[in-house]
Amino acid sequence: MKRRKRILSALLALAVALSLAACGTNAEGTAAQDPEAVLQESDAAVSEEETQEAKEEQPSSAGTESAEETVYPVTVTDQAGREVTIEEEPQKLVSGYYISTSLLIALGLEEDLAGIEAKADTRPIYELSAPQLLSLPSVGSAKEFDLEGCAALEPDLVILPLKLQSAAETLEGLDIDVLLINPEDQELLEETIGLIGTATNTMDRAQALLDFSRGQEERLERALAGAERPSVYLAGNSDFLSTAGDAMYQSDLIRLAGGENAAAGIEDAYWAEVSYEQILAWNPDYILLASDASYTVEDVLADPNLAGVAAVENGNVHRMPGDAEAWDSPVPGGILGAVWYFCVLHPEACPEAEGEAAIREFYETFYGFSYGEN
Amino acid sequence: MKPFTVFPMGKTKLLCAAGAVLLTVLAVAGLFTGKYPLTPEGLLAGDEMQLRVFMTLRVSRTLVGAVGGFALGTAGFVYQTVFHNPLASPDVIGVSSGASAGAAVGILWNVRTARSGWRPLLLTGAAGVTACSFAGALAAVCLALALSSLDRSRKRGSIVLAGIAVHSLAQTALLCLKLLADPERELASIEYWIMGSLNGISGYSIGGNLCLCAACLVLLFLLHRQVLLLSAEEGEARMLGVSVGRLRLFVLLTATLAVACVVSLTGLISFVGLLAPHAARLLTGRNDSGTMFLGGILGGVLLIGADLLARTASAVELPVSVFTSLLGAPFLIFLIVRGRGET
Repeated sequence: MKRRKRILSALLALAVALSLAACGTNAEGTAAQDPEAVLQESDAAVSEEETQEAKEEQPSSAGTESAEETVYPVTVTDQAGREVTIEEEPQKLVSGYYISTSLLIALGLEEDLAGIEAKADTRPIYELSAPQLLSLPSVGSAKEFDLEGCAALEPDLVILPLKLQSAAETLEGLDIDVLLINPEDQELLEETIGLIGTATNTMDRAQALLDFSRGQEERLERALAGAERPSVYLAGNSDFLSTAGDAMYQSDLIRLAGGENAAAGIEDAYWAEVSYEQILAWNPDYILLASDASYTVEDVLADPNLAGVAAVENGNVHRMPGDAEAWDSPVPGGILGAVWYFCVLHPEACPEAEGEAAIREFYETFYGFSYGEN
Repeated sequence: MKPFTVFPMGKTKLLCAAGAVLLTVLAVAGLFTGKYPLTPEGLLAGDEMQLRVFMTLRVSRTLVGAVGGFALGTAGFVYQTVFHNPLASPDVIGVSSGASAGAAVGILWNVRTARSGWRPLLLTGAAGVTACSFAGALAAVCLALALSSLDRSRKRGSIVLAGIAVHSLAQTALLCLKLLADPERELASIEYWIMGSLNGISGYSIGGNLCLCAACLVLLFLLHRQVLLLSAEEGEARMLGVSVGRLRLFVLLTATLAVACVVSLTGLISFVGLLAPHAARLLTGRNDSGTMFLGGILGGVLLIGADLLARTASAVELPVSVFTSLLGAPFLIFLIVRGRGET
């Protein structure tokens, strides 16, 4: 198993190194690369990465010798501030949160999963990348967590959202290791990736995931130097009048994508309710709908209460795609949300093909399927 | 409870006039308070955007606050009189819980049809939630009245008992729907709807509800003598040749319809129906048609006042029930402390 992971990791590092290089070269129209040269490059990239990673200390872990391989027993501090000591590399995992399940797939651990959260059939990413997960037992949701069902699976490690802290304490009493995660913003998401990577001995793959995100962030930053920042109204999932304030993950994505959240003055950490006249007063340049919105772009364009808003007048109303997963939530591929926003807000700086290439490359590298061909 | 009389005294008229002035002042304040900067100059100069905001958003929101509050206050008065119970409110026969369960169905329906790409006409978006909530409220009331009619004695208590049963059923249905709901989207929407808000009200969506509500209110005031008879003991009413059972059903159905028109637009609004009639009785010291009218006016004052706070107290829109409850809960405690079980 470990050997397989190492080979996989090396291939992954190669893919990431290639993708980052490709991002720089695509714009200049460079031709495809020679596979042998690529392999040599990849070795260099891996060894360089290993050296770099060995130097870095994981902030939320203790007991790891390097970022590449975890030495057990390992003690990690989860995102509830609990210290959890994992005696051996976990072979059987349970994930009670769609973000951790998606992350475990990206880390190549889907075969180790023995149970996942409820309503898995509503997540297309599982069907696309690891359909076997859909037949796994459900351990419930944040509303109704199935403690006994989870314990009956005899997992080595359970990953739960922070809101299930009491369930974590009960499972701990049953001698089951639990990590609580809280990926509420980009920084916390990166911490989550590092934490789970360390706990499951997949830090190399986790690092590749982090590198991809950082690579895209840097690319956007470069492309946006000196660009104007249009104002954006982010419309919520179930109600057009709910919006994401400054403290929300979606607002971070808009900032990264070179936009200005019209609701930046709102400090709520959850979807906040606003009125039509507030939107009219903001008069946003763009209205961007959440990927799971229960209404359509046409509904917004036809809403008589929004007549006169710049975004509606200019037809700048768009809905984030959710074919694979909701990029406007802090999933491992969340950075693709910023990439998509960037292409919508700054089409002159982002040819459509470039945005699509980044998205396809991410899913091919980390999830093993071709995005857009399903 | 004091017997109902049909002689509004000078004091009541004075109080109604004072209440109407207060309601007008608050309504005018409501027309010029909000996030969009409106100026009298801009409106007079015919600024298109300002006029649109004023006519479609501000006027309709204020109108729903005034008419909705009036309806809740009046219906609360009717319920308390008919049931001889100072704590009676639309909840007694399950209208609020029926409306909540209906709205929850509407919210789940909205999200799931959008996900599947199926968009049935008239049953999507806010209008779909309003329609479902209205249907839920009516279904609950019809069920309560149908159950109570099974009791041949036709006593007041049987409607209350049937109402409690329907309320419990609707609450159970609501719990099941919440359990089905996605915590990230649908559950939050259901909870927010239950908290009530005048946000989202616009001139394009209120016409039908307001007309029906106004018609029910007119009918209730036309029936004020019959409501008087229902406030008397059943034996006396029968001796006066009144078909107590049918009349009670009709009056309750009318009051409930008025409430359903309001809550299906705004979500649940707590305490207005309970607080306004009591405040009116405390002020007039009577239980007459004038007090019923004053109860309605105070309902309007309370709802418009609470809505003003809801839209200005924070950068975001707050649920209006937060403020009606803030005023209502201490009042209820005051009632209990005073031991005014029979106002």
